[in-house]
Amino acid sequence: MTARVLLLVAALAIAAALPSLVGEFWVTLLTQIMIFGLLALSADLLLGHAGLFSLCHAAFFAVAAYTTAILQVRHGVSTALAAPAGILAGTILSFVFAFAVRTRGVYFILITLAFGYIIWGVAYRWASFTGGDNGVTNVPFPAIGGLRVAGPTQYYYVVLVAVVLIALAYRVLITSPFGLTLRGIKSSESRMRSLGYDVGSHLYVAFVLSGLIASIAGVLYVYYNRFINPVAASFPVSLEAVLMAIVGGTGTILGPFLGSGIILVLRNWVSGFFHYYTAVLGIVFIVTVLFAPQGIMGLVARWRAGNRGEGA
Amino acid sequence: MLAPPGASFALFLRSFMSGVILQAINGISLAALLFLLASGFTLTFGLMRVVNMAYGAYYLLGGYIGYSVARRTGSFELAILCGGLTIVVLGFFVDRFLIRPIGHNHLAQVLLTVGVAFVIGEVCLAIWGGDNLRVAIPPWLRGGMELPGGLFYPKYRLALIVLGTSTAILLWLLYHKTHIGAVVRAGVDDREMVNATGINVDRLFALVSALASFLAGLAGVVGGAFLTLNPGAEWDILVLALVVVIVGGLGSLEGAILGSIIVGLLDAYGRWLLPEFSYFVLFGPMAVLLLFRATGIFGKEQ
Amino acid sequence: MSPAAIAVDHLSKVFGGLRAVDDASLSVASGERRVLIGPNGAGKTTLFNCIAGTLQPTSGRVLLFGDDISRLAENRRAARGMGRTFQISNVFADLTVFENLMLSIIGADGRKWIMHRPVSRFTAERAQALDSLVKVGLADRADETVKFLSYGERRQLELALALNVDPKVLLLDEPCAGLSPSERQRFSQLVAGLPRAITLMMIEHDIDIALALADRVTVLHHGKIILDGTPDEVRANAQVREVYFGRA
Repeated sequence: MTARVLLLVAALAIAAALPSLVGEFWVTLLTQIMIFGLLALSADLLLGHAGLFSLCHAAFFAVAAYTTAILQVRHGVSTALAAPAGILAGTILSFVFAFAVRTRGVYFILITLAFGYIIWGVAYRWASFTGGDNGVTNVPFPAIGGLRVAGPTQYYYVVLVAVVLIALAYRVLITSPFGLTLRGIKSSESRMRSLGYDVGSHLYVAFVLSGLIASIAGVLYVYYNRFINPVAASFPVSLEAVLMAIVGGTGTILGPFLGSGIILVLRNWVSGFFHYYTAVLGIVFIVTVLFAPQGIMGLVARWRAGNRGEGA
Repeated sequence: MLAPPGASFALFLRSFMSGVILQAINGISLAALLFLLASGFTLTFGLMRVVNMAYGAYYLLGGYIGYSVARRTGSFELAILCGGLTIVVLGFFVDRFLIRPIGHNHLAQVLLTVGVAFVIGEVCLAIWGGDNLRVAIPPWLRGGMELPGGLFYPKYRLALIVLGTSTAILLWLLYHKTHIGAVVRAGVDDREMVNATGINVDRLFALVSALASFLAGLAGVVGGAFLTLNPGAEWDILVLALVVVIVGGLGSLEGAILGSIIVGLLDAYGRWLLPEFSYFVLFGPMAVLLLFRATGIFGKEQ
Repeated sequence: MSPAAIAVDHLSKVFGGLRAVDDASLSVASGERRVLIGPNGAGKTTLFNCIAGTLQPTSGRVLLFGDDISRLAENRRAARGMGRTFQISNVFADLTVFENLMLSIIGADGRKWIMHRPVSRFTAERAQALDSLVKVGLADRADETVKFLSYGERRQLELALALNVDPKVLLLDEPCAGLSPSERQRFSQLVAGLPRAITLMMIEHDIDIALALADRVTVLHHGKIILDGTPDEVRANAQVREVYFGRA
């Protein structure tokens, strides 16, 4: 137990020292990795713990981002109000979309896919409000009171602190009784019902919580990118979030961030010399599903179990 | 659609009514196309419990191949044949070597088949580029014809409606009125039992899968003549087909028929009346339906 | 006279063309041990599922201590004191034994909604969990993942789960199915030792165990109840003998 804590503290120390060691390119990439890792984490609350595969998380992400962007850029609202408003907007949407938990399995997947498309469609076609294809530009760096983020390095620290805090809160959530009820539902819904649980209400709450985390990721994103357009609400973004969680290892806290790191570094590297990066992503999907469905953390766990001589 | 100021209300009404009828035919012709794609998707799910998100990519690839064949040979019929058969072959390999190893895990199927769709999409981009392409309509289907009531409508779209309807009738007859259809329906209910009676279920399912693949490729060629073929088109059409099966109920042929009509009409009217919110018009009723019947109109309980 | 613990009133369950349960009526007194027997396909599990709420009957009613629960959802019936085990052992295989029990303990109240304290700090519940493990003979397995338990041990765990909801009525669907002969012995002793405060309704295939445990026996055949009586009456009944041993 203490070995893990030491490892995490060391990792944090490195993360904190990083901007002074590497160039701005890596600082912005790492910021991006953390933000999308958070989005992947939000999807994984449903996937890894409740067993629900949601394809609409980009919708909460984008609605939060657009809300904050529009408030800051067009109405001059300060960060102190615009950021919470964005988080609230995305979370309110998740209250609506959470009705999807009335379905299971493949229906849930398809319905969340369709929900995601609604938001993308609105972002794209309601051009008078969302700016359509052009989106909303010139989003300033966040500023609260006298404190103003001056550049990517400072923003890196803002995101790092936010992510660490959320990861800690997430840990409390998943180790709590409520977190256990989700895993019980994933393991055997019929057993849960016969033990008196109203499965639907637990899944509803979990869905909203995951929408909340996705919304936070969206607000962090819009201040990172300083620009938002309908691509942020698109199906590939939702899908990649789930893929990151799977590649890294579902049901863990580190997994989604590891997955985010792998996917984004891969994209940056591959798109430098190969035009058809999406095909590579497709192959990553295929290979992961066929050969490493438990992701990196799963491979690590199997390796450690093998070393200890435990059963598989 | 508004009549010019000063014109009589009757004129406005006549114009509005013809708009209503026009959009109805638009909707039904889109429904015919959607049915070709959705029927394959819903049957492979109902029979084999496989969710194959690559159907949109199959549509696109089939369409592009049909486009090239039509350009090279001038034959629309050959284009359809080549488009359909290519997908039959591709679908076979995907089924056998990629989908089969993962069994009935729907999540894994979605991820894997989306991966396949990504790869197919990029291959198409590499070969046919990013421009909007259209399959050439055969000369005997070009132009419009006059409908009773004075409306002038593209012949091609009407032919599409005929194609969709006859395919629906054919599939329905095959499924409900033939021996092989009965075996397939039995296989849906109890695969082991059918196997035990000596009928090779795997071969049967491969046949059904091949039919579904052919329909997808066919849909691509036929659709590619009035909708454009371009990167991203595979997802646009897939989402519509998915709403069809969600609304109609996964695994149900009748559901695919009814769902296609509903979605086709909603899409046409939505685009006409509320272009900015057409996705709402499309998905709104779906969402409401789900609140009351989580498995669609004809879907079975999980 | 106090109301029956469970009463089933002209209950039928129809699947398409199949009448799985056909106009069944029975009444189980409080504290009674009632065993349901009948050949395969007789409709026993379907009847159980209708009583527990997993299935909605096509017609007829289910009453729990006099209250009509026919329209009540499964989890609400559990909250009212109906526990059950399943024909194929239904436990949380990827969780530990302790986590399984924790879920059965906190299911009844608001503790299941706590999000701010880790499960490991719920010491009272852990003590309660260990208590139930001792009762079913699994005391030293608390932190094992359930999928590493033997089938017999999972059966024991499942009984512990069902008991933790503090049931007034316990529905056991073939509790000894899949167990070795010695495990069966042990398990039926466990069941026999349950307090009379809990009304027991069991489906049992082994006619010897059934007749030994039962106060009364209900015999099902093709969805219909053909006999409702004491073990002796059932043993002596010619129709039952024919149904069970007849054309063998």
